[in-house]
Amino acid sequence: MKYLNKSITEIHELLKNKTITPVDLVEEAFENIEKNKELNAYITLNKEEALKEAKELEGKEVDNLLFGLPIAVKDNIITKGLRTTCGSHILENFVPIYNATVVEKIKAKHMIIIGKTNMDEFAMGSSSRTSYFGAPRNPWNKDKICGGSSGGSAATIAARDVLFAIGSDTGGSIRQPASYTGIVGMKPTYGRISRYGLVAFASSLDQMGPMTKNVYENAVLLNALVGKDEKDLTSARREEEDFTRFIGKDIKGMKIAVPNFLMGDIVSKEVKEKIKDTIQLLEKSGATVDYVDIKYLENAMTLYQIIAMGEASSNLARFDGIRYGFQAENIKNIEEMYLETRGQGFGEEVKRRIMVGSYLLSGENAKVYYNKALSIRDDMRKEFKKVFEKYDLIIGPTTVTTAYDLTDPMDDPRKSFMDDVLVIPVNMAGLPGMNIPVGFDNKHMPIGMQIIGNSFEEAKIYQLGSFIEKSLNLELTPGGEK
Amino acid sequence: MEEKLTREEVLHVARLARIQLSEEEIEKYQVELKKLLKDVEKINDVKGYDDDILIACWDGNTELRKDEEGEMLDPKQVVENAPHHAGNYIEVPVVIGESEGA
Amino acid sequence: MANYIPTIGVEVHVELKTKTKIFSNSKNGYGQMANSLTNVVDLGYPGTLPTLNEEVVNLAIRAATILNCKIRHEMFFDRKNYFYPDNPKNYQITQARTPIGYDGYVEIEINGEKKKVEIEEMHIEEDTCKSAHRGTKTFLDFNRAGVPLIEIVTKPCMTSSQEAKAYLEKLKELLFYGDISDCKMEEGSMRADANVSIRKSEKDPFGTKAEIKNIGSISNVGLSIEKEIERQAALYDKGETFQPQTRRFDDKLQDTVLMRVKETGNDYRYFPEPDIPFVIITEEMIEEAKKGIPMLPDERRKIYVEKGVLEINANKLIQNRPLSDFFNTLLNENINFKTASNLLLGDISAYLNKEEKEIGETTLNKERFIELVNLVDSDTLTSKNLKDILTMVMEQEKTIQDIMKDNGIENITDDGEIRKVIQEIIASNPESVEDYKNGHDRAIKFLMGQVMKETKGKANPRLAMELLTEELNN
Repeated sequence: MKYLNKSITEIHELLKNKTITPVDLVEEAFENIEKNKELNAYITLNKEEALKEAKELEGKEVDNLLFGLPIAVKDNIITKGLRTTCGSHILENFVPIYNATVVEKIKAKHMIIIGKTNMDEFAMGSSSRTSYFGAPRNPWNKDKICGGSSGGSAATIAARDVLFAIGSDTGGSIRQPASYTGIVGMKPTYGRISRYGLVAFASSLDQMGPMTKNVYENAVLLNALVGKDEKDLTSARREEEDFTRFIGKDIKGMKIAVPNFLMGDIVSKEVKEKIKDTIQLLEKSGATVDYVDIKYLENAMTLYQIIAMGEASSNLARFDGIRYGFQAENIKNIEEMYLETRGQGFGEEVKRRIMVGSYLLSGENAKVYYNKALSIRDDMRKEFKKVFEKYDLIIGPTTVTTAYDLTDPMDDPRKSFMDDVLVIPVNMAGLPGMNIPVGFDNKHMPIGMQIIGNSFEEAKIYQLGSFIEKSLNLELTPGGEK
Repeated sequence: MEEKLTREEVLHVARLARIQLSEEEIEKYQVELKKLLKDVEKINDVKGYDDDILIACWDGNTELRKDEEGEMLDPKQVVENAPHHAGNYIEVPVVIGESEGA
Repeated sequence: MANYIPTIGVEVHVELKTKTKIFSNSKNGYGQMANSLTNVVDLGYPGTLPTLNEEVVNLAIRAATILNCKIRHEMFFDRKNYFYPDNPKNYQITQARTPIGYDGYVEIEINGEKKKVEIEEMHIEEDTCKSAHRGTKTFLDFNRAGVPLIEIVTKPCMTSSQEAKAYLEKLKELLFYGDISDCKMEEGSMRADANVSIRKSEKDPFGTKAEIKNIGSISNVGLSIEKEIERQAALYDKGETFQPQTRRFDDKLQDTVLMRVKETGNDYRYFPEPDIPFVIITEEMIEEAKKGIPMLPDERRKIYVEKGVLEINANKLIQNRPLSDFFNTLLNENINFKTASNLLLGDISAYLNKEEKEIGETTLNKERFIELVNLVDSDTLTSKNLKDILTMVMEQEKTIQDIMKDNGIENITDDGEIRKVIQEIIASNPESVEDYKNGHDRAIKFLMGQVMKETKGKANPRLAMELLTEELNN
């Protein structure tokens, strides 16, 4: 009997009436993962501990919807006692001694971490191919990338190994792989979820978020992850809310904006057509959709390159082989220790970005690049705010194409940024954004739409997302319903 | 001819970032870093923005922490995670010269 | 040696007196077992984030107020990036662009002349870890990593080592009395760097600068400045120049030695710390911080002197903070402050030094001290008798009068009884009476001694003296 392809409410009932136990779910999850091994979705599995935790839950009251459910956690989120590599050689054997705040939160809900998912090294990349542990594969076509950097989390959800995964999104790393794999991925408002325990890539942009097969489950998981954390000064103090509360409500009268930039020539015809179809559906359902211009959108990628690489060069300075992690062998002096540890420990993409980032901050450059980028970002955020004075939500395609081949060349250093050109603006403005599958291309690879909301208006995004999900009623299990 | 950084330019940033590069890497990065640096030059085309900066991408202020002691690590835990230690100390190859910081 | 005008600026780091570190809640402590005062934040573990200690901001505002600085209402932090093993994140969180205080001054006095030493800025930052070098290895102890610091930077406005020393003495006194830092240079909770350059004339541009780092005492700051001026002058006299450089003071050599020639500007790659958004400093925070400022030395000095304390004693009291604080609790009382200060600096200080105690650790509270001052002031308790019972005064809880009684120190304050004794003594010492009448001062002392002897020291000396004079003049 299979359970993990059922909905969360069904599973919850089965757990409650003791038809199944958390052990059944955990065992099934590991069977699924084993069966889908070639997806390479995980860097580390937590089998023994997960089964132990599941056993301990037996006899406990099934007190919440997430009780006893297996969850996959991206490998840049710190898990006490469970290896956390960030997809890097430099942390290959790093076993943390504390938990990320989100990990404490999911544990408080009695969820069970089954493993750490594969990712681009330190989340730098757009295809998860920069992982030291090899790239994960797309469940829809194993010769295709599943996007990145949260590629492993996307793959395991798309393959229906488990219901829940956590990803992180600095410049689209939840939404873009969600789009390539046909799942729902939410990057919440900056400040919604504590970043404490998320290994920093670009601190002013990083945000974790839920990745699930449908909108409702996504909102349920977000409920569990949010909240002010005294350990993170950039986490927001907000009133508690239920992110599922608008799910199922119709969208009559909803005002939606489509930025012309997101529908420009860079977007492939097939993707654009699918988005247009969806727009028609929304209009037919009583929403108004207007095409708008948003200033600075075309600059977002440049700002992102500067801010993300600049901050990364500083954030990754701590990996020096002194206090934890890998240290190069046979070093003669302290200088060699730094150079060799970091030269051997980091992969190509990471080294490239750290070096560019160091350049961007060096001497007078910080003024010319980084500080300027912070200024323009502030203005870009204000432009978004103006749009939200008139509109409830913004929509557009999540990616310019569908997932491409794993064997596509990686020699253009700009490629990983170009893949994210449509999702980056959301991070620049700190807004919430979500991918929702809206169809397939002619090779049956998923196409995604992103829904962008005003700050802290995730519930509205879920409202529109669930409406689209219900209206389109797509078959989103690769290979059909199992 | 492909545009590229000079060898010295690459070595300078590699030194800033404390990354040892092989000869091959130096050549490769001469081209690749140049491409990225050309990209970020585009910021000079952006006009019309004001000087305010956005440090973290939201509008909140900083809540300060009360001056109250919390849990600390056992010195054993501190040193056992380090590649090299001696007694309660973390050990590194001897440092020549003084700290540049405070 | 030709004549040169020195230009001196001083940078001071002080560790703040907080319970916890600046960016984490581990203990701010000194002299503990290596790596026993740390957590994952101090060690720069991946994924950790800084929080900001409220008391650090409070003490920094207090310091800014005391140093007459303007206070910034909206500030952020910057990362200073450099690789060094004592720097756990390989960046230090500091304030490069929005220092909490700026444009201040400290008033010093040199040979009776007052001068304002201008403060360029003061900012908040974190301390680094401690490293010890032995043989081919360096050993790291992260207890100090993240201890809160304020760095106070003067303008290059001083022209002599005396000024620099006077500035540091004054700064130390202010920060110590402001309860901002314990300012122990020997423990590194106050550290000074001096920037020194010289030039021929004020019309010339500033000369090449040498920075002398981490000098361990105020007197060595003075000495290293003098040595550095001499060194630079000797070079210029020979027509030589030198590179901007960092030096340190060598205790053994009693001279400065070269650490490194400065590269063309260290590349610290400063940028705003994204983990700490803007910190808003409200008027309430400033008011609150000001309320916490104890009475500062200058004001204490002024009040003490107004109350009749000798200036030299006022200064001595201020040099001893616990005594000065104790003295301050008496300021509203109607007592003889001169007597009070003499007692505190005399017998009581002697006792405290001998016993290695602070006044708060004795039984001498305010009430009993007032009693003591009045007894001494009225000569009810003589200084000889006080010496006899001092230990009891400092260690027992009884009233001073009771202690005196226990020890048979009685005071005859009965006019008639004393007068009777005096009359007897006058009658049996006619020669001395004659001497007195002939203007020999010593005679009355002899007679007084006889009175005290006869009464076994119990006669109130002041009263006895009054009566004796009266009787002699009859």
